[in-house]
Amino acid sequence: MEKLMQILTEACPGVEFDGQTALIDDGILGSLDIVTIVSEIMEEFDVEITVDDLVPENFNSVQAIMALIEARRG
Amino acid sequence: MAFTSLAFLALVGAALAVYSLAPRRLRWGVLLLASLTFYWLGGRWTVGYVFYTAGTVYLSGLALGRLNRLRREAPPEERKAVAARCKKQRRLVVLWACLLNFGLLYFLKYWNFTAEMLQPLLDRLGAGGQLPVSHLLLPLGISFFMFQSVGYVIDVYRDKYPPERNFGKLLLFVSFFPQVVQGPISRYDQLAPQLYQGRDLDWDQLKYGIQLALWGYFKKLVIADRAAVLVETVMGDPWSYGGAVQAAGVFFYCIQLYGDFSGGIDITRGVAQMFGIQMAENFRRPLFSTSLTDFWRRWHITLGAWMRDYLFYPMSLSKPLGRLGKWTRRHIGGTLGKIIPTSLATFSIYFVIGIWHGANWRYIAYGFWNGALITLALLMAPWFAAWKRALRIDDRAAWYKVFQVLRTCFLVFLGRYLTRAPRLLTALWMIKETFLHPQLSDLWNGTMLTLGLTGFDIGVILAGMAVVVAVEWYQERGGQVRLTLERQSFFVQWLAIAVPLAVLFCLGILRGEYISSGFIYQQF
Repeated sequence: MEKLMQILTEACPGVEFDGQTALIDDGILGSLDIVTIVSEIMEEFDVEITVDDLVPENFNSVQAIMALIEARRG
Repeated sequence: MAFTSLAFLALVGAALAVYSLAPRRLRWGVLLLASLTFYWLGGRWTVGYVFYTAGTVYLSGLALGRLNRLRREAPPEERKAVAARCKKQRRLVVLWACLLNFGLLYFLKYWNFTAEMLQPLLDRLGAGGQLPVSHLLLPLGISFFMFQSVGYVIDVYRDKYPPERNFGKLLLFVSFFPQVVQGPISRYDQLAPQLYQGRDLDWDQLKYGIQLALWGYFKKLVIADRAAVLVETVMGDPWSYGGAVQAAGVFFYCIQLYGDFSGGIDITRGVAQMFGIQMAENFRRPLFSTSLTDFWRRWHITLGAWMRDYLFYPMSLSKPLGRLGKWTRRHIGGTLGKIIPTSLATFSIYFVIGIWHGANWRYIAYGFWNGALITLALLMAPWFAAWKRALRIDDRAAWYKVFQVLRTCFLVFLGRYLTRAPRLLTALWMIKETFLHPQLSDLWNGTMLTLGLTGFDIGVILAGMAVVVAVEWYQERGGQVRLTLERQSFFVQWLAIAVPLAVLFCLGILRGEYISSGFIYQQF
């Protein structure tokens, strides 16, 4: 989780991630942020995230992003 | 058939009447009949293109659905092998669907431009002969219904939902009459269930729909069609005017385009709402955008969303860009190394959005303009942040927001020179004239009144835009116009329909020397 938080705060400085549950639905993260975050996650966690994973439910909260990483780790 | 014609209003009225009387399970058929009638009256035999697109995506959808089912239902021990086999075939199907549709779109919309570019090259190489030129008419709204339909195929490919088995129903999704000529570019899972449901007409929905459509007609007939006269005069012969009048022409073009496109979409969404159908939002107060990226999140939203989901994401996560990303991280490092691949994908998308508008160097330049500025902003972001810190600028300060909005309006305004001037070189010359030889006195020495509009008409346009800005400002601050109206008495609610109707009648129809010329975006 710490590694993920570091990626998120570096990719989107100024965004308060703690306690957020609608990062996409509320427009806090845009498509550019998502792609930057996903590229970092793939690099740092060595997982493959596909276009099909890029849905709001997977990026609305830090927990959801972590769950996606865990799922892709198999 | 134009939205502004009496025939369209008659079609909507007749469709509503038959729809409400028809049994629920047949109501989608009424919408289909109305849609085909609408397209036939507007484009006659070009309705064949709608059938072509619907046919190709229907068959592709069925094939993809079968392959998806095969993959899902394979016994566990064979699942991997079946999935690998299906993957290849699924890709082939989706590729064919794209080729058949975008290939035709390319031929109809871009071939003549390509031939024009290639001919001198062939002549120079001594190849001889003349490249054939297409004389086919560009069907109304072809880019809109093709993009929407290809989106459906890609979603089925991604197994987001099963394919539609009833050809008539899919044809309705492709051709739904309020949206077929200028969008919004809808998603199947959002729109189709509403089209097929056949819900009863509801008084509130009817009222909201009428209000929204009236708002759209106000923007189109009172503001946009008036502004069009001045724009036509200046852009038809920009060489006769100084830079300030040319700039005024572009300024009024910005007003015309917004009134025309967003007004048309309001009519579309309003008519759909009369049938109880909620269509996707296509504009979210773009006049208040704080950056060019923000502008594209608020302007023509459904095209941007289409590009994001079907082009930007796949491109950003593709293997070549992934490899490039690894290389730039290793060799360049830092923030720059991380964002170069994303910036490349971003530039490509805005470039495609520019070309989407048409085959012309002006649109290519427009795509380049947007792509270059947004990519530059991305690459420069760390420097901008440092400068802001050094200058102690507070992002949340009101004056800074106003500065951001004005800056964005200025950049959009400059971009509009490219899309509206007769030629690219003329656009560049006009920008130069605006800044170097403005002849500012033309703005008050009477020249403005020689451009086809009276002072009263210019006043109507500016006052109309002031009303639009005021309403959007109210919405931007969280106000909901409909809810506010709902809280008023029945009398006031009716006034909200009657007053715009009276304004429309007096300023849009009675003073109707400005012929409504269809919508700008329907030609795309």
